[in-house]
Amino acid sequence: MIDYDSQLKIQAYLDGELPEAEAQQVAKRLAQDQEAVLLLSELRNTRQAMVNAQAPMALPETREFFWSKIEREIGRQESPQPAPRRNSMLAAWRRMLVPAGAVAAVGLVCMLSLVSSPGPRMETALADSGAFTYRDYNSGATLVWLSYPAENEFADSEPAGTVQ
Amino acid sequence: MRDHLLSVRLLSWLLPTLFVLGSGFSQARAADMKLEVQLLWGTNDKQSPDPKHRPVDDDVHKKLKELPLKWSNYFLVNNKQFDVSANGTAKVPLSEKCSIEVKNLGHSTVEVSLFGKGEKVVGRTQALPKGEILVLGGNAPNATAWLVILKRLE
Amino acid sequence: MTEKDYSTTDDQTLVRAAQKGDMTAFEELVARHRDKIYARAYSMVRNEEEAIDLSQEAWVKGWQRLAQFQGESGFGTWMTRIVINLCLDHLRKQKRQRSESIDAMDEESGGVERQMPVVTVNPTAGLERGELRQRIDRALGQLSHEHRTVLVLHEFEEMEYKEIAKTMGCSIGTVMSRLFYARRKLAALLVDLKKDDLGMT
Repeated sequence: MIDYDSQLKIQAYLDGELPEAEAQQVAKRLAQDQEAVLLLSELRNTRQAMVNAQAPMALPETREFFWSKIEREIGRQESPQPAPRRNSMLAAWRRMLVPAGAVAAVGLVCMLSLVSSPGPRMETALADSGAFTYRDYNSGATLVWLSYPAENEFADSEPAGTVQ
Repeated sequence: MRDHLLSVRLLSWLLPTLFVLGSGFSQARAADMKLEVQLLWGTNDKQSPDPKHRPVDDDVHKKLKELPLKWSNYFLVNNKQFDVSANGTAKVPLSEKCSIEVKNLGHSTVEVSLFGKGEKVVGRTQALPKGEILVLGGNAPNATAWLVILKRLE
Repeated sequence: MTEKDYSTTDDQTLVRAAQKGDMTAFEELVARHRDKIYARAYSMVRNEEEAIDLSQEAWVKGWQRLAQFQGESGFGTWMTRIVINLCLDHLRKQKRQRSESIDAMDEESGGVERQMPVVTVNPTAGLERGELRQRIDRALGQLSHEHRTVLVLHEFEEMEYKEIAKTMGCSIGTVMSRLFYARRKLAALLVDLKKDDLGMT
């Protein structure tokens, strides 16, 4: 069975994304490995099918109707917003309400620390979106899987993605 | 005017009281954590080429079996136990190339950062009650996997 | 005052006029390219109403950013990039609202992906063009949005891996594994659809 990294290289070869030296290695493999040839053919045929199958599509609204919405939205975004009117009564209420609001906010924070949270807070921050999370509640395990091609954590002598 | 002074006095008493109460309660919730981190190698091979690696403990193996991972065997490359004080951070090296940093956020919640080759690979914030594990993993060469398990001991 | 007739004016001239504030010129550009922009939005979001809204939003953004268009690409291509980015933002927002599932895990992660054998070298053999389009359309609808997006950007927009990675905000490695999975899955789905039609399942 071709390893995953080699499969990706065969795809990159098809897409013309490999540097010359690597492309030659893949070509060499293709001359000897029937499984690699079959995989390349399948990828090529699927790619061709996608390209051939691009369907023209008509926007299902009349020209005038569609344009009228765009024009209205452009007009709405470009017109200046009216300035708020000052109201001395409102200003007076605001002066009274702000300190009360601060007290309420502090109270809310204390309430939240007293009440236990409804569930675990879980967030994953990544350099990119290549990680996926799975949670098994029965066993109490959370898996965060990074879907990058193999790194050399365990096999320094063998660079990742070498065509074998 | 008198009412205004009254409300100011009330606020000046109420606000500090609420803060003291709040901080007292939150401190009671932020406790030290005792954790164990394990660096594992996942493979379908029956043995690891490195004689220093041993198979993982049954309880970890059982938990890994419940996850959608395709490997049948997991070998322990390295493990360390460490403490993280309330609101503190601990950084633990796992190998020459990778380390893990754990921050105790309180309420049994940790902020975990995994570093590979000096760069942050992934960050994760979640609750970790006693007995639960967090598994961070990725592909390794030859269709194997590396896994970092973080387990709460106490 | 009579309305200008821009129906025979080239895009470049229309863009220059629109950049000076001529809305009639911009309306002509919208009329010319609206189907293409809509089709791109639909290929990504697979929902007619959302595709209409997103293409409308793209046109409004296009008007606002018209000064930035310098003619480095065709106007249609420039507008397509705008709608693609809007669709990606929209899909990301939707994804955050949905809970992650093991299916997504299975699809996305190279580590848990099953090693799919080559199902058939040519899954579309014997299909007429119209039928092929329908099948591909149905099969695309069954992919996750990340896989569909990478296929659309690579096969339809002819973007390179590097450009796709920048557009999707991910690594080139992620683009490669998603594209690979999407193609293999599409081949398998096309074969399944063929078997369904022949009453073989």
